[in-house]
Amino acid sequence: MYKYDHIDQTLVNQRVAQFRDQVARRLDGSLAEEEFRPLRLQNGLYHQRHAYMLRVAIPYGLFNSKQLRTMAHIAEKYDRGYGHFTTRQNIQYNWVTLEDTPDILAELAKVEMHAIQTSGNCIRNITSDAFAGVAGDEYVDPRPVCELLRQWSTLHPEFAHLPRKFKFAINGAKEDRTILLCHDVGIELKKNTSGELIADIYAGGGMGRTPILGSLIKQALPWQLLPSYLTALLRVYNRFGRRDNLYKARIKILVKALSPEEFARQVEGEWLHIKDGDDNFTQAEWDRVAKHFTKPAYKSLQKLTNEQVISLAKDEDKAAFARWLERNIKPHQVPGYASVVLSLKPHGSVAPGDATTAQMLAIADLADQYSFGELRATHEQNLVLADVEQSKLYELWQEAKKQKVALPNVGLLTDIIACPGGDFCSLANAKSLPIAKAIQERFDDLDYLFDLGDISLNISGCINSCGHHHVGNIGVLGVDKDGEEWYQITLGGEQGNDAAIGKVIGPSFYADEIPDVMTNIINAYVEQRADGEAFIQTYNRLGVAPFKEAAYKNAKKKEKADSKVTGEDAS
Amino acid sequence: MSLTNANSSNAIAAHEHVLHFPKDGKPSLTPNEWLIWSGSQDEGGLPDLEHGKAKVLVPFKWWISHHEEADIQAKTKGGQIGIWFAADDDILKHVELINEGKKVWPLVAAHFPIFRDGRSFSTAALLRDRFAWTGEIRAIGDVLIDQLLQGARVGFDSFALRPDQNLDVALKQFDLYSVTTQNSWRDKRASLSI
Repeated sequence: MYKYDHIDQTLVNQRVAQFRDQVARRLDGSLAEEEFRPLRLQNGLYHQRHAYMLRVAIPYGLFNSKQLRTMAHIAEKYDRGYGHFTTRQNIQYNWVTLEDTPDILAELAKVEMHAIQTSGNCIRNITSDAFAGVAGDEYVDPRPVCELLRQWSTLHPEFAHLPRKFKFAINGAKEDRTILLCHDVGIELKKNTSGELIADIYAGGGMGRTPILGSLIKQALPWQLLPSYLTALLRVYNRFGRRDNLYKARIKILVKALSPEEFARQVEGEWLHIKDGDDNFTQAEWDRVAKHFTKPAYKSLQKLTNEQVISLAKDEDKAAFARWLERNIKPHQVPGYASVVLSLKPHGSVAPGDATTAQMLAIADLADQYSFGELRATHEQNLVLADVEQSKLYELWQEAKKQKVALPNVGLLTDIIACPGGDFCSLANAKSLPIAKAIQERFDDLDYLFDLGDISLNISGCINSCGHHHVGNIGVLGVDKDGEEWYQITLGGEQGNDAAIGKVIGPSFYADEIPDVMTNIINAYVEQRADGEAFIQTYNRLGVAPFKEAAYKNAKKKEKADSKVTGEDAS
Repeated sequence: MSLTNANSSNAIAAHEHVLHFPKDGKPSLTPNEWLIWSGSQDEGGLPDLEHGKAKVLVPFKWWISHHEEADIQAKTKGGQIGIWFAADDDILKHVELINEGKKVWPLVAAHFPIFRDGRSFSTAALLRDRFAWTGEIRAIGDVLIDQLLQGARVGFDSFALRPDQNLDVALKQFDLYSVTTQNSWRDKRASLSI
């Protein structure tokens, strides 16, 4: 993975010093809270319901065991013994103090980490495919481009105070694992017929209160020209994005208001003036960055069949191990290797995506022992060991079980994406974690979950949609009505190549109704599914009607809860 | 608290000193010679330049409709008039007027209605890149210490900070970073040199 050169390291160290000074000015009162707020947000520091929350950047989700040990150490020393992996592939701590934050950042800087631009109205941490560089269906390894754009966007002066936050996702595989179209800008990397690396640019996607899928605005952009093109794009957004209304300030509103064609035309007009400038990436820069993303020292191994892998397990483990192989193991580019998803969604867990200090330390050891010391954080709030020898999967499974990260529920109903919700977040209208837990308790039977197959269930505690409920096959959105917590259900959302925004099925439910509502929806699927049909396929074939009818079978209340909206998006 | 012109209620408040940071020089403080006229009081027209400050930055929107008036032309010739761009001025719609203005304005400024509104960063970048403006560009309005670095990098070389800002702290801002990872008006990215 990428290793800092002296420029990266100097910049991060100097950033720590700058923030230390800003915190000191805040503490001595010379910097007002209102004016400190954007500064701390651009360093990932939120003020949440109970305490400060620090969001630490994991650029494109890639990190190493040494960094994970530092994350564990920070959880232990400055927080309450756990960290939370987020849908944006970052990690956040819920209980830090303002006074400690400069020291935390200094500790992070020692292992080439920071919290720069993990929040605020600037270019956020870039996300990508958690299986970048190893995925069986990859046609371009996106990581060099991710890293070049990380550098380009870090402390970019012109775009430090945009109308709103700005999120990039970058994909280079056949299957989109990044929800490319739900980003302010999605960059799809390809090779043209001459083998040159090019990018298609999608703009104006996003979730939140107005979910919109991005539009293709530029095709076949040579990779070198990304900085000038993105400068043009961001300049148009910076100048003309709405600033009068926080809720209409995202680029998606501008793109929609202008039309994607007109927005693309304006960007092109701006770009013509700067496309030949020296903002563009050079081959030397590429070479310097790309050398860090070469393949690790893979052994020359034989590809094993699933049966061969299962045969390594003891008889009494075979069934459970086979399930784990089916759900949590992903195909690899190199024969004899596999990628392993460690589930951070054990049933009955406090919060999807949480990992304790002990778990982080143990997982760091597993990464060293089984996967060249590297890890990835996924959009679904799980962790990945990307390069595991197939012959060692059984051994790893036994170790992972001890850490309670081996539940074979990846992609199943209980692999829930959830935001921290009202338990932690000051923006939330409703709790999301107890809903996730109640659903996991209701659907605790692994055999049944297996039978149900792929279903995504995403929960957000407010309209800002940090839990990405819009793209869950089943989405749950917490809403507030007269001080009471209600939950609105959406169906039909999807991530991946057929990304779709779910539709609200009707009036909201009380929290205690949600497990029954889920049961009813799932039963409707089971009753009507064709052979081998996944939930979303059945839904797409039948439409909302049978699911809606099932959902409201025993509803206590049928009046619609209006969503009361507060604050800005914490995602 | 001090204003550029204490007796002018329609002036944009600024520190009595301006922080200058020329492209190839060091940051320093000089007295603020320019009244920043908000243009909000149409009846009286241009402020009195005989008894207050002798030089005035007028809103670009006001310049558009008044620059041909004889007394404005006279004052402009005397080096007494510069212009400031509002955050929502679309300078690319006034290319000819700005190119003409380049010959006569001693100073242009871009306004920050509130510190977290970054539109004027793009205005400054466009003035440097597209209009090839080589003269001084001043940041005015809600200009706070923690915007100075960004401002200096996009093309501003002088700053009329908000009156309550501590200039000693402000002066130290430009030493915070010795490296950058993208080009700016002042430097090419450090990574190009390795």
